Amino acid sequence: MSVHNSIHTGKEITLTIDGKVCKSTFGKTILDVARENDIYIPTMCYLTKVKPIASCRMCIVDVEGVDGAILSCQEKATDGVVVTTNNSELYTERQNIMKLYNVNHPLECGVCDQSGECDLQNKTMEFDVSDQPFTTREPHRPIENWGHVSYDAGLCIMCEKCVRVSTEITGDEALQLHFGGYSSTILNVKQDKNYASLGEAAAVCPVGALVDTHFKYTANAWELEKIPSACPHCGSGCQMTYEVRHDKIYRMSNEAEFTSLCGAGRYGYDYANKNVTKDAKAFEKAVEAVKNAGTILFAPQISNEEAFILQKIKEKTGVKLVCSEAGAYQKFMQAYASVTGSQLFGGTLKGISDSTVIIVLGTRINDDAPIVKYHINMASKWNRARVAYMHPLRDAEMNTIVTQFIKYEPESEECVAALLVEMLLRDTEVPKEVKTFLNTLDIANLGAVSKVDEEALEELRKSMLKKRGFSLVIGADLYAHPRAQQIAKILALVEKYAGFNVVCVPPAGNAMGVSLICELDDEVTGKTVGYNVKADFVLSALGNGDLDMPALNQQEGTLTTNDKRVVPMNVAQSYGGYVLNDIANALGLDAEYTIEYTKALPSEKGFKSVAFDTLSDYFDTLGIEHRGYLLEVCETAVEEKFEAVAKLDSFDGAVVYICNPKEQFSAFTHLCELLKEEAFLLGSSEFATVTKLNDGERVSFMIDGVMFKRVFKIDTSMKGTIALNPTYDMGLSAPLVSSYRFSRVEIQKIGS
Amino acid sequence: MSLEQFKNRNIGTQNYVALDVGKPPKSGLCQFKQVVKRTFKGELFVGLWVTMKAMLKALFGGDMHTIQYPFEKLPISPRYRAIHDMLRLLESGNYRCIGCGLCEKICISNCISMDTRYDENQRKEVSEYTINFGRCIFCGYCAEVCPELAIVHGPRYENASEQRAGYSLFEDMLTPIDKLNLQQEYDGFGAVSPNADENIKKTPLAY
Repeated sequence: MSVHNSIHTGKEITLTIDGKVCKSTFGKTILDVARENDIYIPTMCYLTKVKPIASCRMCIVDVEGVDGAILSCQEKATDGVVVTTNNSELYTERQNIMKLYNVNHPLECGVCDQSGECDLQNKTMEFDVSDQPFTTREPHRPIENWGHVSYDAGLCIMCEKCVRVSTEITGDEALQLHFGGYSSTILNVKQDKNYASLGEAAAVCPVGALVDTHFKYTANAWELEKIPSACPHCGSGCQMTYEVRHDKIYRMSNEAEFTSLCGAGRYGYDYANKNVTKDAKAFEKAVEAVKNAGTILFAPQISNEEAFILQKIKEKTGVKLVCSEAGAYQKFMQAYASVTGSQLFGGTLKGISDSTVIIVLGTRINDDAPIVKYHINMASKWNRARVAYMHPLRDAEMNTIVTQFIKYEPESEECVAALLVEMLLRDTEVPKEVKTFLNTLDIANLGAVSKVDEEALEELRKSMLKKRGFSLVIGADLYAHPRAQQIAKILALVEKYAGFNVVCVPPAGNAMGVSLICELDDEVTGKTVGYNVKADFVLSALGNGDLDMPALNQQEGTLTTNDKRVVPMNVAQSYGGYVLNDIANALGLDAEYTIEYTKALPSEKGFKSVAFDTLSDYFDTLGIEHRGYLLEVCETAVEEKFEAVAKLDSFDGAVVYICNPKEQFSAFTHLCELLKEEAFLLGSSEFATVTKLNDGERVSFMIDGVMFKRVFKIDTSMKGTIALNPTYDMGLSAPLVSSYRFSRVEIQKIGS
Repeated sequence: MSLEQFKNRNIGTQNYVALDVGKPPKSGLCQFKQVVKRTFKGELFVGLWVTMKAMLKALFGGDMHTIQYPFEKLPISPRYRAIHDMLRLLESGNYRCIGCGLCEKICISNCISMDTRYDENQRKEVSEYTINFGRCIFCGYCAEVCPELAIVHGPRYENASEQRAGYSLFEDMLTPIDKLNLQQEYDGFGAVSPNADENIKKTPLAY
């Protein structure tokens, strides 16, 4: 089964555009073909990453033998057509469109934030519209502040890009059109929630109507130095650009035409470790500490090169390396690879958005990896994909996307995985060992233990019969599960035999890179050195350790993304202190700069021997990504051995689920001014009844030896006896919380 | 005046007139006598009288030819480019500057630095503005590019300072609010042309 069920696989066609003979495949629009062949067709409302909006009519072309103009953005190119993209009539038509766009448009470019990168400005110049010949009565439309973004209806040209992005890409569905002739506006129907994902809508706005509130009127587009980089917060490593002036980051932008950035990426940028100078004494102590350390603990918010330096230090001194989240992911992927025979999962994000059925298992995906959620949303909106969301907790934010919520008991993921695999492989030819394993499964018992609704599974199976292009999204609940390796093996069967596009979303930061580069250990022995983790000696980019380190926006390096790509990061803010490479050099390694390790990254793990400075970082005019390189597929030994599904303890009573809100990933996002939010223990009223807690009560509890002191809040959108406990505000302790995400805890009230 | 007589260098052909300067004294006594004679003749006062007349004319006749720099300064051409002034709107007294940043962008010696912010009235406001006069080359581009005639060149031309860098803040250059009535319109580069009224077009915003 192929996931690439898109129509792009059609037959070869030949057409003529402006006298140029263009070869392409059926299914592409005239605009696509023109762009492929470097032929310019002006557009105003066209946004590559969403379906054609067709509201501006700027992209009109003449097709021989067809009366009237054709919208090239939505009209499919057919074999043999002769297209003219420009003649005097088309020019006049376009000029008239621009005149109408300029009706009452304020002539305040001098103070407009978009000035200098404004589509309206550019096209007005291009079509030589030097005055405003038409006018109308201007309705009173005050500027609205929606939190992260502000909306000025007076500047809006109603291209609908923002609405489409909010619906088709981010899925917050906050923006809607209000029709009313000239007084049409964009409405924010969810103003009670401050969606950072609306930053994505502001990014695609061609004029100054939607702008970032914090950025408004603080600088001009041309004054900001644009530094391309990758977002280090979650495992997605999205393309983004720091816009910097006077060593201060003013805002984040991205290649909004082709790619997306979540709220945390867009507004979580000011976490740099500032005003650091070289403290030689602390450095000496740090070198001594690393030399004598039994274990180096580190957080997964780290570049590939730094991880490689730690690995080198391990090889030199024999120190143990512990990064619990990445370690769990490493083991999970090794078990997964032992079945598939390939080191990494086979799926891609593009594959998710092309799917017609998507199963999400073991992750609160909207909070864990917003970009993956965006791709699920795209599939839901474009292919009307069926989304089966399997999790013990319903997520109200996913309601508009999820077709089917399948609930299971915490810790029963192994049973769920087995049930799922049995369902998917029931009618598929599989080798004997797998067949035996499937036959030994006691379906009724598994269903009873996990409390999965069998009818729901059956419904899902039936819905898949006539469809093709399936995806499975696997998340962090499974990596830290006590039976993670067995689950990995079971789910690997889905990729291998059911032809699914499987994506194993990395649990945090650059966990995927770390899991590929470092040989990680489980046990902590001897004296400990922590890199952004609490330990005997702490190297910290959070500014509270024994030796300062640069944050990820202060150093060069590469990240490994969940799309299996190695992408470069560049320096956005200056840093005056010591870096990890200095410590490594003091221990006898030899590299002038950290990035000298980029080409030394292990090739047996799929990394290429490419120097950092030669890594590309752009999207071409067709939107094809040229950032860094894709990891090469490395084969591993196949060994299909399965254990029987383990028995479970019952998981009754109040349960706490470790989960950061969707704009928070780590202690670094917590430092960001624009994302400031207080951390609560969030539970339903049912949870409150079970634990005898009241709304607003202060509680304390322990997870993995970390003491949490929180205010308990009742969230009316939640149900069941599972509460959400974030870790992003725990600073250096956050990476220590690494066991299975659901835990039974003893909650103590404070001050009662 | 013709320059012929100066160009003729053939001495002897011109009409020289010999002056009667008398005979020079021959003995020491004669020399002494000459000195005494000249001293008491009163010729000195002839010259002093001329000076006196000029002084009285200047003091009481209003015919002074010098100025009391630095207490007095000569007026300079409106096109002279000296230290910048920041002008206000005459009616409201608000800053003319809208914070568009064009002066900062066009400045070829990179001496203008500004920060803007979103103010309470939903307008763009300059929050910080400095010009480093140690770097400024007084090219006048900033005044020329300013769409609001907010930054202009004023008449202050003394640039001597103790340090190479000399920063001026927005407030230093701004017309004091109590001297708004004394604010001069700028006539230099970038100013409105004298026939501007004839060139004005109606905006389409007829409502």
